[in-house]
Amino acid sequence: MSAPIRRSRSPWPTLACASALLLAACGDDGGGDPMKQIGANPTLPEPKQYLFPPIHVPSMTGWPEGQSPAVSQDLKIEALATGLQHPRSLYVLPNGDILVSESKAPNPAQPRRPKDLVMGWVEKMATSAGDTGPSNRITLLRENENGHGTALRTVFIDHLNSPFGVTLVGNDLYVAATDAVLRYPYTDGETEMKDPGTTLAQLPGGPIDHHWTKTLLASPDGGRLYVGVGSNSNITENGMEAEQSRAAVLEIDRSSGHSRIYADGLRNPTGLAWEPKTGMLWAVVNERDELGPDLVPDYLTSVKDGGFYGWPYSYYGQHVDPRVMPQRPDLVAQAIPPDYALSSHVAPLGLAFYDAEGLPDRYRGGVFVSEHGSWNRKVLNGYKVVFIPFRDGHPDGAPQDVVTGFLDSHDDARGRPVGVAIDKSGALLIADDVGNTVWRVSAAQQVSEGR
Amino acid sequence: MANGSLRPTVRIAGHAIHPIVIPVPIVCFVAALLTDILYWGTARMMWADFSAWFVTIGLIFGVIAAIIGLIDFFGDRDIRDLPQARFHMTANVVVLILALLNTLVHSRDAWTSVVPGGLILSTLVVVILAFSGWMGWSMVRNQGIVTDTRARERERATMTGARP
Repeated sequence: MSAPIRRSRSPWPTLACASALLLAACGDDGGGDPMKQIGANPTLPEPKQYLFPPIHVPSMTGWPEGQSPAVSQDLKIEALATGLQHPRSLYVLPNGDILVSESKAPNPAQPRRPKDLVMGWVEKMATSAGDTGPSNRITLLRENENGHGTALRTVFIDHLNSPFGVTLVGNDLYVAATDAVLRYPYTDGETEMKDPGTTLAQLPGGPIDHHWTKTLLASPDGGRLYVGVGSNSNITENGMEAEQSRAAVLEIDRSSGHSRIYADGLRNPTGLAWEPKTGMLWAVVNERDELGPDLVPDYLTSVKDGGFYGWPYSYYGQHVDPRVMPQRPDLVAQAIPPDYALSSHVAPLGLAFYDAEGLPDRYRGGVFVSEHGSWNRKVLNGYKVVFIPFRDGHPDGAPQDVVTGFLDSHDDARGRPVGVAIDKSGALLIADDVGNTVWRVSAAQQVSEGR
Repeated sequence: MANGSLRPTVRIAGHAIHPIVIPVPIVCFVAALLTDILYWGTARMMWADFSAWFVTIGLIFGVIAAIIGLIDFFGDRDIRDLPQARFHMTANVVVLILALLNTLVHSRDAWTSVVPGGLILSTLVVVILAFSGWMGWSMVRNQGIVTDTRARERERATMTGARP
């Protein structure tokens, strides 16, 4: 019996090789150039599946005193309100008052599998830093006449269930909580809602409420409301029964409260707006994860009545997702490719067409899109507000950076843009749910006075 | 090689702990194979969710069993010299590596968390487990690894002069 022979039979070299293979399987995948995934014909690589999908959750630091995002020279940016609790979306009332939805995710459902425990922790890291105060309310901001700061700040409606979308039709103010559209009687100049409100329509909420934000938009004639409802999973892993009336834009009749699916296959349509020239409905949509750093590009698209945009069965038209079973070739054949790719994992959460005056002329008629920023690719993407020019009702040209600097030089997130809106004076407002700030972007010189 | 003289290092009140822990991963990995097959047949996410729990819990208890097993293996020169012990250990380390891969594959979303990679790994794990479990049992049965030293001592006390 000799030691050297025994050592030669040792399993350890085999194990070392196996471990090396295991590590190699999760090797570098920084992804390609996001600029190749912009516009009508994005480059789509083959889908990949991972043992460890690439993720990069930046540290959420908030803004150091006196720091703010960066804008081009002919613009200026200032904090309109700070110290908010996770501000997510913005709505400007006819008198110029600004409603800020401060909102946190609803309580998570019971974990269905071990991954839910891990993802819960990742999501906690990816939300805003240090906001433990009361949220789930709507705060009213009244700007100073000179545009610098607020003259008034009140809690307009409190104790809501994860509110997001807000819209006013006549004297009816609608709030999209995560589980219902609520209606409140509003009078001009009101700063605190006394009425408890009534429910107009139920929305798909818990117990699983994966994509919980509900975007709200009224039709131009005020007869109908449109609600963006996100999917209840990344890619059907909570079961198809959890996806009833989800990954869709719902249309609610304002008088009866009846709703129908206006368009579906839109995984998470977080922003809705009317294109001013054609009157078409447009949306920004967050596409699926875990197929690689360059799949699937998030997008901006027009939304047609009855249109199907692929989720979950396919993406960008007829690219079948291998993770969905049973497959539906009949639906895949109908899937409409979106109009304009924004590149992968940028997480567009807000859009606002610019039909006002006050900002430089180059912004007239186009759209501002806020990109909350990626966590599911190694090289960060998004974390800015871009502008996409439109011509004859369609995107025309590359996106231009409007507000940047949400990431610092160490790739830590000082802020993340969510909702965007245009205020009464034509300035661009941005809700920042990590910096807990509403930013106001206006022209550096008063261009509007020269008109 | 003296029959009955081999003592696992990790014992509580005379009981070897390794054989108490190993049924957990064995049951979990066999169950995961069954629920993988059910998901393959039905595409109902409930079965894939069951599989994900089974492979993860099996892996956790498998690692605990492996740590105890390795202490037993390296803690006794005579056990170390048993060919069955080496096969048993090597096979179980392979099982754990495959189970780790399987846990990661099962953490994907929907169909490809099981078909085909997860199903193949679950099958391999069960096949190798059957082999290594047989090796482990043969050590207790034929090579006299004592899994309960007190019972053994009682046995010896009653069986006069049967000391090997």
